[in-house]
Amino acid sequence: MLESLRARLTIVAVVVVLALVWTLPNMVDTSGIWWPSHDKLSYGLDIQGGLHLVLGIDVEKAVQERISKMTYTMKTELDKEKNVTFGEVKVLDPSTGTIRLYFNNPADKKAVQDYMEDTRFGQGQVFQTLDVTSEYIESRFYEAELRNFKKSLVDRTIETIRNRIDEFGVKEPTIAAQSDDRILVQLPGVEDSSQAKNLINQTAKLEFMIVDPEFMPGTPRMEEVMGWVQEVEEKEGFNLGQENMRYSDYVARINTSLKDRLPKDRIIRFEKAENAKTLEAGKIPYVLQTDALMGGETLSDAAVSLDQVGQPIVVFSFDAKGAKEFGELTTKHVKKLLAIVLDGVVQTAPNLREPITGGRGQIEMGRSGDRQKSIDDANLTAMVLRSGALPAELEQLEERTVGPTLGKDSIERGKFAGLIGAGLVFLFMLIYYKSYGVLADLALALNVTMILAILTSLQATLTLPGVAGIVLTIGMAVDANVIIYERIKEEIAKGAGLLGAIKEGYVRAFTAILDANVTTAAVCVVLMYFGTGPIRGFAITLLIGIITSMFTAIFFTRTLLNLFVGKLKWQIAP
Amino acid sequence: MSIKKQKDQNKKIAKGGLDDWGRYDFMGKGPAFTVLSLLAVVISLGIIMSQGFRYGIDFAGGTEVQVQFSSKPPVGEIRGFLDTLVGGVMVQTLGEDNEVLIRMQMAKGSNEKEVNERNNERIQTVTTSLLDQFQLGKDSIRRVDTVGPQVGEELKTKGLLAIVYSLLMILIYVGLRFDYKYAPAAVICLFHDAFITLGIFALLGKEVNIQILAAILTIIGYSLNDTIVNFDRIRENEVVYKGKDMLFIINRSINDVLSRTVLTSLTTLMAVIALYLFAGGVIEDLAFTLGIGVVVGTYSSIYVAAPLVVLTEKLSKQWGMA
Repeated sequence: MLESLRARLTIVAVVVVLALVWTLPNMVDTSGIWWPSHDKLSYGLDIQGGLHLVLGIDVEKAVQERISKMTYTMKTELDKEKNVTFGEVKVLDPSTGTIRLYFNNPADKKAVQDYMEDTRFGQGQVFQTLDVTSEYIESRFYEAELRNFKKSLVDRTIETIRNRIDEFGVKEPTIAAQSDDRILVQLPGVEDSSQAKNLINQTAKLEFMIVDPEFMPGTPRMEEVMGWVQEVEEKEGFNLGQENMRYSDYVARINTSLKDRLPKDRIIRFEKAENAKTLEAGKIPYVLQTDALMGGETLSDAAVSLDQVGQPIVVFSFDAKGAKEFGELTTKHVKKLLAIVLDGVVQTAPNLREPITGGRGQIEMGRSGDRQKSIDDANLTAMVLRSGALPAELEQLEERTVGPTLGKDSIERGKFAGLIGAGLVFLFMLIYYKSYGVLADLALALNVTMILAILTSLQATLTLPGVAGIVLTIGMAVDANVIIYERIKEEIAKGAGLLGAIKEGYVRAFTAILDANVTTAAVCVVLMYFGTGPIRGFAITLLIGIITSMFTAIFFTRTLLNLFVGKLKWQIAP
Repeated sequence: MSIKKQKDQNKKIAKGGLDDWGRYDFMGKGPAFTVLSLLAVVISLGIIMSQGFRYGIDFAGGTEVQVQFSSKPPVGEIRGFLDTLVGGVMVQTLGEDNEVLIRMQMAKGSNEKEVNERNNERIQTVTTSLLDQFQLGKDSIRRVDTVGPQVGEELKTKGLLAIVYSLLMILIYVGLRFDYKYAPAAVICLFHDAFITLGIFALLGKEVNIQILAAILTIIGYSLNDTIVNFDRIRENEVVYKGKDMLFIINRSINDVLSRTVLTSLTTLMAVIALYLFAGGVIEDLAFTLGIGVVVGTYSSIYVAAPLVVLTEKLSKQWGMA
């Protein structure tokens, strides 16, 4: 240990100053005055309130979608370049991207295999051949390719969510990958959690589809389709109002059942009637052409505006490529109805009076009578269109919402409990050890200041269990002083002089103190690694407290004793 | 207090000097306490096995909603209303406040995805209809926690790993720091504390969640403190009182550090009790566990760890001679 009192005092002074530099901005407002650091403690969601979500990414489904896109490309290219066609493509294992592709003709084997092994589909080589027979070729994604794909999937999803959250105006959101198929979203201070969740989960698939002229609304043919839908619902015993029946599932079932009655390349989608509260209560079917459609990927902007009668509408515009495509589609199908379909629901189906070549369009919101709701809907739609579609389906795995009042109450109560606990310990040490108690209390005060300073400087998050960790530290930190003081008493009883007793007390107590702290510190490290948010906060504050208490309880008090007893010759004993 | 007076007082405590057995006779009654500890552990294990734990949603999955009312909440009415709405609901009042805690088990579904979807739909249903039915403001929903099957499973695994690694680190440390005579005693002591704390939890039907797990692990680290301080002194006294038998040395050592043991437990308990009484919410259960742990840990470092050292000493001598 340092023997020079001056050096010791210097170190103590530096530590005290540093501790104050970081702690003070938490106590008083330093924004107007000169101060080295203006950082403040950052509180966890359990204190400041907000929304914590863990989202799972449906990687397998994304892989499956990618495979179907790639096989489509393969089909057209092989046909065009080598005049080769192939039959069914089976996905054997979406988790590894394993597929089996059946040949139409065994002679095509070589061409198909070569093509699959060479084609790069944008990035690196994708398919690794596992097995080739005369009937089929079995391949899977290369390990590296699969990894890249997953990583880019997670990155793109995070990016999209971030864009949406930015629109929502949350301060300091956390959107980060938690593993290769999970995303953590933390939105401090968000009060309306359901709105935030809706925003994140919107799939926002925008499509423009031409309505089959044979089935114009109001015509007998359309009445017929309505009858079919009703018939299927009754026969198969399902409807949209059923519990757990999602719209996407419902639409899929209706289309499967009516596949044979509809013309080729036609599908049914529904619109919500203007005055209906739910889709179930008033759904209007449309028969749409899948051979005349365009996706919304080329959309460049979307905003809310008002139409001539003051109803909210969403106006959108395309980039150059999209404008051209949209122009072609609307030119080819002029005088027909153009359905604007968002997430499989027809939003509006205006009449194409003339081709739209300027690359702009608009979506009318349902006139449900509730104007505020229409405006909210328009805002949400525009927001979702702007931020783009999610690259994969999300599954909500965990949600924790803390209301703003609860967090505030909790921290107030935590602070109060901490003050009471600290007060008791302070008082106890003072009464039991008198002047040495003052030393221990000073050390304790410095200890708490140092913990707060370190938390602030590291910008670590203070959680409720973290507050408990600080209070627990207050109780435990005096342990070191107690060990030392009791030892000094003993040495004095054995007949040692005061200074000798103090020296002996510190030297002999040191190993016991160190031992006692190492085990608790070890547990803290494990908890930091395995714990989730709040618990990690507990472990961090406790660990910091253990470390700082080694300084305050041993070095700091010893320095003061050296000063008072050694230098100033005060005759004080514990 | 003057040094003179202090010396006199301390001499009184340490009267008889090197030959004194110590002020209190701990080891004389040792066997009785050994039986007591054994009994406590057996009973705890019995309770744990027969009743099991009540796991919180962290581990079991499910949903918890905390709702604040402007006056005393009509618990029966809330339960009835929610039971018809979603079924399988537990409602209890929270503390002295006008708050209720609504707990629902994980929704049923054919696969994990469906369970997650239904969990989420249920939150929406429950919160909106509750606010409607009892005419509450949006702020009344104070907290919503939902843990789905995957996350619950993962938290369980992580909790288990945290236990395993904590124990492993402590064992390694004890193994490095102490020889064969002390290490087994410290380890047995540690399990003694953990089992009794868990037994009390099972007995009271308190919920076991991540916070509790963290508290128990902290307690394991903390209670080892006392044991280590005792052992340190025993080792030191083995040199000072060379030739005395182990029982004497141990009793003397416990007495030497007794005031420290009691004082530290006392200050820690003060902090913990303040937390238990005033902090409320999440911290209340954490403090409860810590409190039990402090008491049990202090007891075990004197009455479990020390007698075990005597025992291993005896056994090793017997085997050594044989």
